[in-house]
Amino acid sequence: MEKVIFEQLDESLYYEKLPNGLDVYILPKKGFSKTFVTFTTKYGSIDRSFVPLGEEEAITVPDGIAHFLEHKMFEKEDGDVFQKFGQYGASANAFTSFTRTAYLFSATNHVYESTKTLLDFVQQPYFTEQTVNKEKGIIGQEITMYDDQPDWRAFFGSIENLYYNHPVKIDIAGTIETIDKITAEHLYTCYHTFYHPSNMLLFAIGSVDPEEMMSFIREDQAQKTFPEASEIKRIEVEEPLDAAVKVNELKMDVLKKKAYVSFKAKITDLQGKAMLKHELAVQLALDLMYGRSSDFYEDMYEKGWIDESYSYDFSLEKGFGFAMVGSDTNYPVELELAIKKVMNDSASALPFDAEQLERVKRRKIGFFLRALNSIEFIANQFTRYQFNDMNLFDAVPVIEELTMADVVEAMTSIQGIEQQAMFTIKPLNDTSEKA
Amino acid sequence: MFNTTEIAKGVNVFTRKTDQFKTVNISIRFKKELSIEDTASRTVLTNVLQHSNATFKTAAAVRMYLDDLYGTVLYLDTTKKGNEEIVLLNIETVNDQYLKHDNVLDKVLELIHTVLFKPNLENGAFVSSIVAREKAMVIDRIQSIFDEKSRYAQVQLQKLLRPNHPASISVNGTVEAVNAITPESLVKTYKSMLENDAVDIFVVGDIDEVQIIKTIKTALPLADRATPYVVKVVEDTEPITDYKKEQMDMRQAKLHIGYSTPVKFGDIDFPKMQIFNGIFGGYPSAKLFVNVREKESLAYYCGSSYSSQYGLVYVTSGIESQNEEKASRLIDEQLTAIQLGDISDMELDQTKAMLTNQLTEALDSARGQIEIYDQYRDLPGGFSVPAMAEKWAAVTKEDVANVAKNVRKETVFFLTGMEEA
Repeated sequence: MEKVIFEQLDESLYYEKLPNGLDVYILPKKGFSKTFVTFTTKYGSIDRSFVPLGEEEAITVPDGIAHFLEHKMFEKEDGDVFQKFGQYGASANAFTSFTRTAYLFSATNHVYESTKTLLDFVQQPYFTEQTVNKEKGIIGQEITMYDDQPDWRAFFGSIENLYYNHPVKIDIAGTIETIDKITAEHLYTCYHTFYHPSNMLLFAIGSVDPEEMMSFIREDQAQKTFPEASEIKRIEVEEPLDAAVKVNELKMDVLKKKAYVSFKAKITDLQGKAMLKHELAVQLALDLMYGRSSDFYEDMYEKGWIDESYSYDFSLEKGFGFAMVGSDTNYPVELELAIKKVMNDSASALPFDAEQLERVKRRKIGFFLRALNSIEFIANQFTRYQFNDMNLFDAVPVIEELTMADVVEAMTSIQGIEQQAMFTIKPLNDTSEKA
Repeated sequence: MFNTTEIAKGVNVFTRKTDQFKTVNISIRFKKELSIEDTASRTVLTNVLQHSNATFKTAAAVRMYLDDLYGTVLYLDTTKKGNEEIVLLNIETVNDQYLKHDNVLDKVLELIHTVLFKPNLENGAFVSSIVAREKAMVIDRIQSIFDEKSRYAQVQLQKLLRPNHPASISVNGTVEAVNAITPESLVKTYKSMLENDAVDIFVVGDIDEVQIIKTIKTALPLADRATPYVVKVVEDTEPITDYKKEQMDMRQAKLHIGYSTPVKFGDIDFPKMQIFNGIFGGYPSAKLFVNVREKESLAYYCGSSYSSQYGLVYVTSGIESQNEEKASRLIDEQLTAIQLGDISDMELDQTKAMLTNQLTEALDSARGQIEIYDQYRDLPGGFSVPAMAEKWAAVTKEDVANVAKNVRKETVFFLTGMEEA
């Protein structure tokens, strides 16, 4: 077992790669009574075309399958896994993102029993046609729930605008039609391909003894047999740089219009420290341009073109990335132009000085220090960083070292005019022209 | 858990020294009795104070200064508890020891003073353009509820279930009440809050308790409250109807059901009702989740919540419109089952374990420590996790069945999509 100390943050991280390939990380936290354990596979909604384990030919599976599989992992021959966690008072949950599927629990006692339950239920699949079909009604309701949420629709509408081919444009849960095609056999194929321990990471944080926990997991894994680890072959798609659809809109039964401008990222092939540095630099640039202390924000707020729903964000994973800026607004057209103007002006020269950069750096450092109080935040974020060969605890020192030159360089990833798109949500009775 | 110091009559400081967190958390709470007019006014006031003061006149200037203080979080908000309305000023700032320089905490307390005691006034009133802007923001907030269908359905249910009652009064007030606010009326609200409200100040972090109380006394020069703080108990109002259906152009229908219970927060049967709610629909192991979702595949979510301040239980679920009757019947059956004592050992034990775990976990965050303490310190006998766990441990199946017998279905609000062609 290795131990890495992050001195400035006063944290110690323990690591071991087990013989079956599973990466295990443990972070003890003083003074906390709960333990949070996450068990995550590097498999998400974008992994739809791949060569199944032990086969030669690539296949494409129905949309929404990673998320469907996540749901079905909880049902076993002898009942529902939630009940087992419940016996120990542990809260269990799971989520599927574009690139990951995570299973987790938090508990204040019986931590080893719950850890065992977590390892067992994720490593022992049980799917039948009957249980698969039963789940379609439940997930169907999850899909329609999201369909009625304007924020979610604006988010996905924006991604659909940006991408021609990349599967990030497909809703994580799929559609009623695509999930209807899913069979137990599909689930087993995806499971065996992506749930091998060598494609997974276990992270325990909180009131936990690292030596004891590590040996508990080591022994558990030694008792289980897995096939030899083999490389996963994902089929990559060709994706042009420009936005596929420049303008689109959706009408919903809402009172408020929503306007979102999105920017497709050019630089999506970095990993490790380089990716961490790049990602933080883009975030700082967005803070400078669109943050709540920016001229832009003040101007928009004074004019009443944005309200409290205003937000901006940058997402980056290997193979795709995008920034989004938007708000509920009565002035979607004006707001779109204003957002784009800030971005386009930045292409010639970033109009910010060292003092402003220092300010947003401080804010970002403060954000990480606050976030590191939260076991949930660390548990949810740690694995995402690790899957990209980054370390969450490097963020603060990396921010401290970032310069204006770094920020200017990073910004070139999202500055191209052809990389921009606009998505608007409008009330049903809205008769204004398509922007 | 907290040490209490009264710095003026009706003004209490609760401190907790701990090295558990990398930040210091402060929460200042101005409390008064709830009223419809005042909710709107106090909400607009929090927005105005948040975004402008005599030193930092614009929202951007406030934000810039907060950024300089390592992204210190400072926000004002309004909330309610029972028949109380509360103005909150919450602050989280990094602990100096993780930084290379600066005495951030002192500067933060100075800023709190500025925000609360140096408002941006013009001829004795708040700046009218700022008031107009923040009124518009609050109106936007009130109206945006319509766009979140499950929140909208819940608000409609509450209005039907307990009309003109704290349970259904929004802390943001109404659009009409917001429109009626003037820069002058807002000054009255502001002064009344500083002079008359009961004030609780919570501080959690690696602090010097003696020093911080001294600093707070300077930063918050609050005078003795003239009258002791008492909140009237409000009589429950009668539901307007037992069923209402509304249509919107949406894909998923929302089934929201309101129940009454005579058991409220702090009553002797309160822990029994908490267990009842856990077994009914509080967790993924509960009857509603297992039967409506897992067995019948009718819903993605179906759960219950116990609003103990008002003696109400809510069931909420998202379903297909055509399944309304079936879902309603299944939900009714789960309540009947509990009333008849059809409760397994596992259901009872799980719920006790979950409640204890949840409470223990909540104490892992500074915010959680403040919230839990503020909520539970009113309980007879004070608060500790083992004491609560002991009360839950003593609850039997018969106890749960007995409190369930007094849980009465009052009102259903069904928000449905358009009929399928």
